[in-house]
Parts: sequence; C-alpha cells; structure tokens
Amino acid sequence: MSTIDPAADIHAARRAVDTQRERRAVFGSIRMHIVLSILAFLMCLPFLWMVLTSLKPLSEVGGDVWLPSRIETTRMLGIPVPQNYVDVFDYNNPDMHRRGIQFARFYWNSIFVASWVTFLQVLTSAMAAFSFSRLQWPGRDRVFLMYLATMMLPGLVMMIPNYQIMISLGLVNTLTGLILPAAFSAFGTFLLRQFMLTIPMSLDEAAEIDGANKWRVFWDIIMPMARPGLITLAIFTFMGNYGSIFWPLVMLKSEANYTLPIGLMYFDSTRGQSTHLLMAATTMSIAPMILVFVLLQKYLVKGIQLGAVKG
Amino acid sequence: MNPNPSSNTPAIAAPPPGDIKHDPKKPFSPSRSRRDRNNLLWGMAFLSPNILGFLAFTLVPLVMSLGLAFSNWDLRLHNMFTDERVKFIGVDHFINLFNDRNFYQYLGNTLFFLLSLPIGIALALLGAVLLSQDLTGGGRRGRGLTTASLLGISVVMVTSVVLLTLTGMFTTALMIVLAGLFGVILVGGSIGGQTVYRTLFYIPNFVSGVATILLWKKLYNPIDGPINSGLEAPLAAVGRTALAMPPWLFPVLSIALFSAALFLLARGVYRLRSQHVDGDIGFAGFILGSILLALPLLLAFLFWAPASWMGSVSIGLLGLLIGFWIFQTASRPVQFKSKTSEGIGGAIMLGILTLAGASILIGLASVARNLPIIAGDTEGLTPPLWLQTPFWAKPAIMLMGLWGAIGSQTMLLYLAALTNVPGELYEAADIDGAKRSQKFWNVTWPQLAPTTFFVFVMGIIGGLQAGFEVARIMTQGGPAGSTTTLAYFIYAEGFETGRLGFSSAVSWTMFILVLSVTLFNWKFGNKYVND
Repeated sequence: MSTIDPAADIHAARRAVDTQRERRAVFGSIRMHIVLSILAFLMCLPFLWMVLTSLKPLSEVGGDVWLPSRIETTRMLGIPVPQNYVDVFDYNNPDMHRRGIQFARFYWNSIFVASWVTFLQVLTSAMAAFSFSRLQWPGRDRVFLMYLATMMLPGLVMMIPNYQIMISLGLVNTLTGLILPAAFSAFGTFLLRQFMLTIPMSLDEAAEIDGANKWRVFWDIIMPMARPGLITLAIFTFMGNYGSIFWPLVMLKSEANYTLPIGLMYFDSTRGQSTHLLMAATTMSIAPMILVFVLLQKYLVKGIQLGAVKG
Repeated sequence: MNPNPSSNTPAIAAPPPGDIKHDPKKPFSPSRSRRDRNNLLWGMAFLSPNILGFLAFTLVPLVMSLGLAFSNWDLRLHNMFTDERVKFIGVDHFINLFNDRNFYQYLGNTLFFLLSLPIGIALALLGAVLLSQDLTGGGRRGRGLTTASLLGISVVMVTSVVLLTLTGMFTTALMIVLAGLFGVILVGGSIGGQTVYRTLFYIPNFVSGVATILLWKKLYNPIDGPINSGLEAPLAAVGRTALAMPPWLFPVLSIALFSAALFLLARGVYRLRSQHVDGDIGFAGFILGSILLALPLLLAFLFWAPASWMGSVSIGLLGLLIGFWIFQTASRPVQFKSKTSEGIGGAIMLGILTLAGASILIGLASVARNLPIIAGDTEGLTPPLWLQTPFWAKPAIMLMGLWGAIGSQTMLLYLAALTNVPGELYEAADIDGAKRSQKFWNVTWPQLAPTTFFVFVMGIIGGLQAGFEVARIMTQGGPAGSTTTLAYFIYAEGFETGRLGFSSAVSWTMFILVLSVTLFNWKFGNKYVND
C-alpha cells in the first residue's frame, strides 16, 4: 500500500515504545534476579560447607576439597543414613544398652521445655492481653505501662536473684526450673494486646447481650479472632526457648537434663576435635529450625513487622 | 511530611494508650459501683496468672538485684564452710568497678562491637531496596519472558559446568554442586519472586544460636577451616603482586583512598548544611552530626599524629580547614527557621552512615599503606589467625554478625516501611527530573528515618547487652580479654567467680547505660524524627 495512514503510524510508534519499555523492564528484572541470587548463594555457602563436612570421614576434614570422596552409610529402617549422623547418637558410648541416649535426650529436653513454655506463655499472655485491651478497670493503663517499662530491662539484671529463687524453690537442674520463669512474658502480653486492639469491640458487646460472661467472650470470640497473633507468638516463643542458651547454661548441671544448645556446647567441649560429627550435630539442630521457618514464615514476617520484635 | 506516621513507626517506640472509653450512653447499666467492682474482679482474674509470674520472676528479682549490688555476697566467702554474714557495703562495688582497668577494656569491647551496627543497618537497607525492586519484568508477558530467560540461563550454566567437568577442564566436582545450588536459587527466585529471596536472606538470622556459632568457629579455624584455606592462595598472589608493583603506587593508592574518605565526610557535612539551611535539621542536630563526622579526624589526631610531626601538622591543618568550613556554614543565614532540636535523629543517622562508609575507606587506605611492608615479610602475605589473636578476634566476630545482616529483622522492617512510602512522592520527583540517587536521598531516606532511628536505638540497646553467647562458645572471652563484653563479664563474675554482689553492681551499671539510651529514644524518637 502506498497511501500513508497516520493512525497506523502512531500505532506502530506506540508499539515500538511499548516494546522498548517492556524490554527494558525485562532486562532490569533479570539483572535484579541475578544480583539477588548471587547474594543468596553467598549466604548459603557456610551451610553448604557444614552439610558437606558432616558427610565426610574425619580424615578428609580440612583442606581445599569441600566434597567428601565417599559417603559411608548405614541402613536404618531400610533407608541409607550417613554414618556420621548415626555416630552422633552413640559416639564414644561403648555401652550398647545406653545407645543413643545422649543426643536424642537433648532433643527431647529442648522440645519438652519449648513446648511447655510456649503453651503457658501464650495462655497467660493472651489472658493478660485480654484484660489490658478489652476490660475496663481502674489503673489498667498504668499497670500496662509498667509492663512495657520492664521490657526495656536487661534480662541479665534479674539473672542472679532468679537463680537464688530457683535454689530456694529447689528447682536448680530441673526442666521445671527452665519452664517456670519463661512462662510469663511482658513481650507476649504486649504483642497480643496489639493484635486484640484490632478486633472490633462490637463483637464483645453482642456476645454479652446474648448473655455470655467474660470468660466465654475471651475463649469463644477473642481467642479465635486473635489466632494469627497467637501463632506468631507461639513460634517466637518456641524457637526462642528451643535455642536459648543463658538460663539453661546457668541452671543445668547434669548431662541428662541438657537441652540441645547446652548439649551442643558440651559436645564441642568434649569431642570438638571431631569436626565431622560436630557438623552433623549442628546440621541436625539447624534443619528443623529451617523447616519450621520455611513452613511458617508467613506468620513470622507479619509478627516481626507488627511487633517490632525485642532484641 | 509523613502522612501516616503511626503505621510505620514500630509500636514499641510509641506505646499507644489504647483507651477504650467507657460509653456513657449505654443503657441499663446496673449501679455504677457494682459494675466497677465487677470489672475490676474480671480484670484481675484474667491478669492474675501473668502478674503473679511477673512479680515473682521480674519485679522481686529486680529489687533483690539492687540490694545485692550493695552487698558483699560472694560464693567464696558465704558457703557452707565459712558462714560469714552477708553485709551491706554501700557503693564499694561501684568504686572498685570504676577503678578497674578491665572494666574499661570490656566496656570498650562492647562499644567496639557496636561499630558493626551502622554497617548492618546499611546492609539491611540495601537488602530491602533490592527486594522491593520490580522482579516481574512488568506485566504478564514480561513475567513470562523473565522466567523463561532465567530458566534458560540456569540450564545453560549448569549444563556447561557439568560438561566442562566431565571433559576434565575443571578438576573438582564441587563446581557442579556450586553451580547446581546457584541454579536452584535462581530458578526458585524466578518462580517464587521476592518471597524466596527474603526467606533465604532471613534464614541465618532465624537459626542463629549455638549451632551457627559453632559452625563459624570451625569456619575460622586456621588449620582446617575453609576460610583460611580459601584465602591462602589469593592472599599469597596479592602479596607477590604487591612486591612486583612499583613501590610508589601504594602511598599514592593510600592517599587516594584517604581522600575519598575525606570527600565522603565532606559530602556528609554538605548534606547536613543543606538540610539545615532548608530547615529540616535544627541547630542541635547539625552540630551533633558535624561532631560525628569529625570523629575520624579526632581519632587520627589522637592515634596517628604522635607518630610523626608531619602527620600531626597535616592532620591539624586539615582539621582547621574543616572546622572553619563548618563554622562558616553554620553561621550562614538559615532560610527556614526550625526548632533547635528538629531532625536530630535524622542528622545522627546521616552522620553514622557517612561515618561507616568513611571508616571502611580509611581502613582500606591503611591496608594499602601497609601492604608492601607485610608482603615483604619472610612468610609473605598469610591469612590472619582470626579468633586466636587479640587484633582479629573482634573483627572476626563482627563479620560473623554481619553474615545475614542483609536479610535481618531490620530488613523486614525496612521492607514494610518502603511499601508505606506514598507513590505520589516518587511521581513528583519524576516530574522534577530527579535521578535515581536523588530520589533515594530526598524521598526514600527521609521517609525511612523513623524506622532507621528505631532500629538504631534498638540495636544499641541490644548491643550493650550482647556478646555473651559468642564469648562463651567461641573464645571464652579471650584472647587476653579482647572479646569479653559487659554481658560476659557479668556472667563470669556471677556464675564462674561467684562474686554475686559485684556482678549485680556491673549489671546495674549496664542497666543505667541501657536506660539512658531508652530515655534518649523517648525524648527524641517520636517527636523529632517523624516530622
């Protein structure tokens, strides 16, 4: 066609501009992806070294070669398991009857303590948060301010007196002694109060008109509504106590009561030269945390951004 | 300037009273006093489990701890064999503490560790800005194109590495693993987008604890750790190259780097001045920021100048010059009058950030200056022994702390704050023809100031109490006390030496430090950053 159609021309020009813009956007985002991948890759390197070392025999630890030349395995329940991961459990423990007691015990202690603390802390914090956010009583805000102020206290200040209290209660070197002080948290109360303030008050009023008492309001209405907050606090509390170091280190005296972090420190101080086993142990203690994080990160990110977490 | 300050000011900084006002219009209320009593009973009932624990494990210990700090309770004196009475000894512990040279070393260590805080914040900001970029290639077609090309890139990369290894051109199979890992991350990122990268960035922060500290202890091991075995060859090569270079190169390089640092500092002063003239920063903030920026000069004067009179004269002249400039700019007429304390937080932030960059450059300058001397040594350039030397132990620990800083909680807070920056501001900046860097410094950075101030204050509060785990697990506070922080000092005195009274006194000293930072935050945090 020889005739010039101005409309077609404009269309063609606009398309050209669009393609150019699109191409630039695509190139830009590809570049961003590569930059981000490189950063993420670099951050994964220590973990990669840890996992690879945990698969090596002791003779290959160290040097430039990251890869194990062979991976020894044992069959457990029909699945081949790397030998080191089995050895961690009964390392240096010739008594076959007590086989596997140490490390499995540390795991169990950690999970036991963390679960109890989580249950108790979420419950007490939720009740206190309910009281602070939805009930009217004189002096309420003043008491709450006092709670907030104690969040700023360094935990170290209370550590020695708390230890004395534990001695007088006879709870030193017991798991109860780990659970009890951690079961009450100003931070948890604060976090859940922030969540509960976002729930409309009309729900409570409607329920009270229907004849529900405060406990029913709390349990049947507020608790289900505050579920995201409860889950967030539960994850924080669980992970915090699963990995907590200071208080268990002070409190626990016998190996049978060690939690996982204290057990790892013990492992390092007694058998730290066996780098391959130590790395197997750290891999095993980190792996569940990564799993929990990847599965539940939705709640965590929200919680951190909402509560601007302590520490 | 900020339309909704409450939404991106984290909650601790500004505790909202959250009054749920009593509704007077509510009908059929029983007699007022009965209702009040009823409310009080329910309120107490719900609060009681928590407040009992709170009293038993927070308030009572707090009071006890204060009492302990003034007593001579010592497990070596007061045990079942020597049953002396615990006595009230007044402020003796505090006097001893302030006369104790070790205390100042440990306090210095704690403050030294805090130097990594601005770097960590800067990395987190970088992470947040990178993550909030457009990763979709704009629109659906762009997204498809992006994903397809990224998949293509990773497939090509992995197969080429595999082929190269099989044909024997690479000697190690490790390359396959590394390429595979990178490929997996790239593919995951191209499918999952921001979430995948955010998750990977955050993982080191989430799993931090004994396991990662032990891992880094092994990584830093000079004999069989991968860091030193990886550094050996490149460092030796650098050393050989340094010796082969003409000797005048290094002083020149050093001077160039130092000048770059000075330029950065000068730019910081310039920015401070222009914001002061515009009325965004008051006089107090301006002076405080300038003092921060002058810190390197002061330190240089204290530490380097005594070495040579040439050095002291040149640094003195430089200081005079900059001081004159600051004086001149400070006395210039201010166009928009602002309150004295306005924008003090922003000014401090600016000072700290510039300082971080400048100190890195100054460090590099010092490295460049000393490189030929070290390389000329008999052993050549060798990697440091990290945790085993007093000089390198602290930087090694700080480096470990910065691993993952790019994806820390600070990054998550920044990410949330970035989404709250109103888009109109960027549109207005676009219309004014602002460049990318201008948009960042004039739109993004001021809008993020409340977050920056919050994470900075929280970082200081946390940092003053930190360092126990690392010192206990990695170094036992050594070598020569170089990694003992206040927290580890308190632990060691209280639970290893058994001086409970003294340990409590140290912990109260730390408490007062933390409290002063908190009060500073309450005074300036909300009012002056958030304008």
